[in-house]
Amino acid sequence: MKPRLAVLCAGAGNRTSIGCALERAGAEPIIVEDRFENADAIVFPGVAHFGYLAEQLDARGWRAPILDAIDRGVPFLGICAGAQLLFARSEEARGARGLGVFPETVRALAGPRSQHMGWNAVVPVGNGVARGWGYFAHAFAPPPAATATVAMSVYGKPFASVVRSCSVMGVQFHPERSGAYGAGILRGFVLHVQARNAR
Amino acid sequence: MLAKRVIACLDIRDGVVVKGRRFAELRASGDPVTLARRYRDHGVDEIVVLDVSATLEGRLASLEAIGSIARTIDVPLTVGGGVRSIEDVRRVLEAGADKIAINSAACDDPKLLTRAARRFGKQCVVASIDARQENRGYRVVTHSGTTPRQWDATEWAATCDQRGAGEILLTSIDRDGMQSGFDTQLIRLVSARVGIPVVASGGAATPDSLADAFAAGADAALAASILHDGKYTINQIKARCIARGFVIRT
Repeated sequence: MKPRLAVLCAGAGNRTSIGCALERAGAEPIIVEDRFENADAIVFPGVAHFGYLAEQLDARGWRAPILDAIDRGVPFLGICAGAQLLFARSEEARGARGLGVFPETVRALAGPRSQHMGWNAVVPVGNGVARGWGYFAHAFAPPPAATATVAMSVYGKPFASVVRSCSVMGVQFHPERSGAYGAGILRGFVLHVQARNAR
Repeated sequence: MLAKRVIACLDIRDGVVVKGRRFAELRASGDPVTLARRYRDHGVDEIVVLDVSATLEGRLASLEAIGSIARTIDVPLTVGGGVRSIEDVRRVLEAGADKIAINSAACDDPKLLTRAARRFGKQCVVASIDARQENRGYRVVTHSGTTPRQWDATEWAATCDQRGAGEILLTSIDRDGMQSGFDTQLIRLVSARVGIPVVASGGAATPDSLADAFAAGADAALAASILHDGKYTINQIKARCIARGFVIRT
């Protein structure tokens, strides 16, 4: 049985990349725009402003169900701004409330360009994730010393590129657009979901 | 460290990859899905698809072709051609593009860049600028090289940055398809002037051409005819850029 993954789409843009990538990883992605139930896992891709996504969490009634699912150990994968939403706050949008699964504040990057755009090395800290090249497209990122950091990258200064705690994972780059390395990360997440289902 | 990007560009007309010289004399080069897949397998960092006749014919880039290409690759896809409105941006993103290149429409209404960035995220919005050398500067030309505009290319690039574009796709009309090297002066001027990444396009002749573009300040460089004609491979380009000291994804 392919695991059913609820892919939360907050109204803007490309669902093809993540949908196809999750299918290739062995899952059945279900695009969700409002209520979601009985999913084996949740994927939250976010290409947008932290503030906008935080608003959408409430506008679409996602906040409580996500936190409840995480509490019950349902695996959760946040991508890009979706990963940032796991944190409490972001410098990108003062006053906006993230999910607060991780207590730290997402910070502005300080590299040569105003956008961190392109392929950069993902360097593991410990055993949480493999090393490789990820495709990044963002200007804010979780701090490198976040408790849940399992991989770091450097643009101007270091930042957390992958965070993980139990079944919650946040990936700052786009695994659905990071070639074989990204496909490996998605496959690992799907296998984790399958293993949990088998219990 | 952030790598410099080697990008393959597919100019498409009626579902077929074409290649021109100085934005004219289009000739057929192959099937877009096959080429996109090949370049992805060869390690290309990104694919750009431009529907070269869309703007001239007043229509949007072929969504079906975009969808086929998007499903075939797992590296970023930028699509341009006839994008005139927020609705067009939405449709192209939904068809599978990761980034949308807006060219003529931004010149007609710079606020389109701002609206697109707000609605979909800056990372999705690429300001595509075609420049032709004129006297000692560069003039912006739109509509596939047919319509000169009133701006200097460097100033227009700065405006696009201010207006909210996440990236600049900078094409030298004079060098496009000529395989005689990029216009490094143009690249240098624009790269120094903007805060967002610059993708250089137009003129790739050899692997060294892309390294020259990086040396002039480009964050990424495009190759089209030298790839489609089988003159060089992605590997050869990347190997040369690494030998010239640039950080490249391997």
